[in-house]
Amino acid sequence: MSFEQYVVETLKTVVFPGFVFIFFLSLFYEWFDRKFYARLQNRVGPLYTGFYGLLQPLADFIKLLSKEDIVPKKVDPLLFTMTPLFTLALSIFATLLLPILSNQGIVSFNGDVIVSILILTFICITVFYAGLSTYNRYAVIGAERLFLQMIGYEIPLTLSVVGVALSAQSLLLSDIVLSQERWWYILGPQALGFIVFVFAAQAELERIPFDLPEAEQEIIAGWNIDYSGRRLAMFRLARNIELVFLCGLATTFFLGGPLGPTIEGYTPLFYTFYFVVKSLFVLAVLTVVRALFARLRIDQVESFCWKYLLPLALFQFVLVRLIL
Amino acid sequence: MSTFDIPIGPMHPALPEPLLLKLELEGETVVGVDFDVSYMHRGIEKLLEAKTYFQGLPLVERICGICNAAHGLCYTLNVEKLYDKEIPPRAQYLRLVVEELSRIHSHLLWLGIAAFEIGFNTMFMYTWRDREAVMDMLEAITGNRVTTEYSQIGGVRRDIPPNLADKLLKTMDIVEERTKYYVKVALSERTIAKRTQGVGYLSPEDAKATCAVGPVLRASGVKNDIRADDPYAAHADVPFNVITYDTCDVFARIVVRAQELFECVNMIRTAMKNLPQGPFRVKLPMKPNAGEALTRVEAPRGELFHYTLSEGALKPYRYKVRTPTLANLGALRSMLTSKGRYVVNIGDVPISYGSIDPCICCTARVHLFDLKKGKSWVWTLDELRERSKRGKLLP
Amino acid sequence: MSMIGELIRSLFKKRATVLYPEERDKVHLPEGFRGKLEYYEDKCIGCSLCFQVCPSFAIEMVPEDKSRFPKNQTGRRPVFNIARCTYCGQCEDICPTKAIHLTNQFEVIALDKRDLMVK
Repeated sequence: MSFEQYVVETLKTVVFPGFVFIFFLSLFYEWFDRKFYARLQNRVGPLYTGFYGLLQPLADFIKLLSKEDIVPKKVDPLLFTMTPLFTLALSIFATLLLPILSNQGIVSFNGDVIVSILILTFICITVFYAGLSTYNRYAVIGAERLFLQMIGYEIPLTLSVVGVALSAQSLLLSDIVLSQERWWYILGPQALGFIVFVFAAQAELERIPFDLPEAEQEIIAGWNIDYSGRRLAMFRLARNIELVFLCGLATTFFLGGPLGPTIEGYTPLFYTFYFVVKSLFVLAVLTVVRALFARLRIDQVESFCWKYLLPLALFQFVLVRLIL
Repeated sequence: MSTFDIPIGPMHPALPEPLLLKLELEGETVVGVDFDVSYMHRGIEKLLEAKTYFQGLPLVERICGICNAAHGLCYTLNVEKLYDKEIPPRAQYLRLVVEELSRIHSHLLWLGIAAFEIGFNTMFMYTWRDREAVMDMLEAITGNRVTTEYSQIGGVRRDIPPNLADKLLKTMDIVEERTKYYVKVALSERTIAKRTQGVGYLSPEDAKATCAVGPVLRASGVKNDIRADDPYAAHADVPFNVITYDTCDVFARIVVRAQELFECVNMIRTAMKNLPQGPFRVKLPMKPNAGEALTRVEAPRGELFHYTLSEGALKPYRYKVRTPTLANLGALRSMLTSKGRYVVNIGDVPISYGSIDPCICCTARVHLFDLKKGKSWVWTLDELRERSKRGKLLP
Repeated sequence: MSMIGELIRSLFKKRATVLYPEERDKVHLPEGFRGKLEYYEDKCIGCSLCFQVCPSFAIEMVPEDKSRFPKNQTGRRPVFNIARCTYCGQCEDICPTKAIHLTNQFEVIALDKRDLMVK
């Protein structure tokens, strides 16, 4: 690569649409989630920090960074320190796969559909180790529930993605985006896949109704009970970036990615705009699901995933196979 | 196999007030539970011995922030038994109106807390928003949202003028409409059904054996309500239905409390229609006659019990309060133990605890000490029954 | 799923929150609200009934010159300590000459404890 290309690629990775852009986008998504959730409940949400509370997630992040980082005596020091870093690194890497500026992400290779699902599993494993690294009973119970939940939603998630990959006849995210130029996948049999993906994403992000690993009323804070200060800030940032990633994946698979009508020469800006708007729509759906239901118990989560989500995913898979 | 102990409390997001629940777990099943309720002891009974009867009323109302009208009502009914004067009927009707209003606010608050315990924040926010209509009404009638001090020794503090009576009836219409919506949601929402049906099971035999009171008892199918069995204030003249439900679980308690809201609304409407004319307060002297008095009242949580012993002086010699939550804690232990095919998960603990409508600030136990011999002991229920039959409660 | 209608409708309804320090006029206090008390010294007869019923011992009777307040019969007058007051209103109920009145003022703050005495 020539020097200019090198500089451009670095700028793309670090600034736009790379780390800095994803950082601010994740804070914006958290604001949207909190504000929309509050309006659904006839409340106000964040209001005073910044214009309509836009700076509230940033203020929370900075506040957490400045707090004292308490390390209990009996923890595994390596795991306790490394797991927040690994989770953050994995989620940021995952967002590099998203096609924002064009139909290709910053990182694009054959099989990146599989890698995107694989990263979610790795994040889950690191969080499990985070919960196990302390001696606190609540953390152990939270970590155990996390794994049990993963057993439930993993297979339906993968199946819904496989249906999309079959329709596009490819395992490249950029091909999936290109094959949605005529119509989006959600307008076909993949609508069922979208529903399965939404519920599985809700379970991956540990939001109500799949809030168990962090259930506030039962085990106080679950696996992140002993984290404070910088480490907790990293976990929360990692969770917000994971939210960006999953909304972006849903947009790529089912809503046509960044594609839409553009003006010549300004394509990257339009594409970014469409991508963000479509992701916000997916986020709105996720927030409505969060406000609608109560929290399910662990055995109920398992029975829901295996009795309803899995058959729906299989049915959707069969439907796609028949239509093609 | 040894068990894994986790404590819930005393500081915990699920608990509205501090209490220690020590759970013994095997995996995710609870096999044993132990309580410690001494975290909110404030010495109120001792303080009441240092204040006159008139000064004691605001203190008694502050035993519990939510059932304050019930405590105030029980106190005034109790102390009035030490005098010889007749309380005017208008005062009794007005006392009933405020008592039922406070029961509405307590049940709406409880619906929100129960939704919060199962993670359903939306219903929590909605029920508390609708509760504000009732709180505004309480504020207009009595001057304060909580600690109303409406029922005074000798009658009530203020009258309800006609414009306020109209506003009250309009608020009742709003409450009735919103409660119908919440009953519809509770019956049709699948996630609520999954979290509450079959959870916190308390059979009628267990309920009677552990002395459960209030909606917990009525949700196990036992028809027991102090307002019907032992009427006080104007309850003998204002008819109502005693609500029971027979599935004996948390879902039954939700249904019982929601249906009781409808009954409260009807009682207020009937009472306001048949309000008798006359004075609403009589002046009573500062010193009552010597003697003992005992009153039971149906607080929103169950049977509330006050006892006083007066020697004809300005201040009481002894004042004793027994609140419904103390009686329901025995039922809670029975609900939280897994036996046979009935399995309790950790996820069931907050909602079962919430379903007895706990108010730990009211709870106090009796623990007996003998300083000379250096002993401390607690009486069991059978020993208490034996001693009360013999008429000898002091050892 | 049963609350979905109500949720979507809440998006378009006005919010239920009152933004308190800015929207002070939206806080509707009813008549008869028990706030900070006001004492009318020219109506007081010095019977000290208020002192006998106050549950938190917030009232103290101090000696007073009878010539300043002709209605005062006993030569004593109450001084109220608002820091100890529980706003129960029993003093207002029992006063025979209506010399005490509980107003609508609920924001009772002071930087000096001496400002919290109503004489």
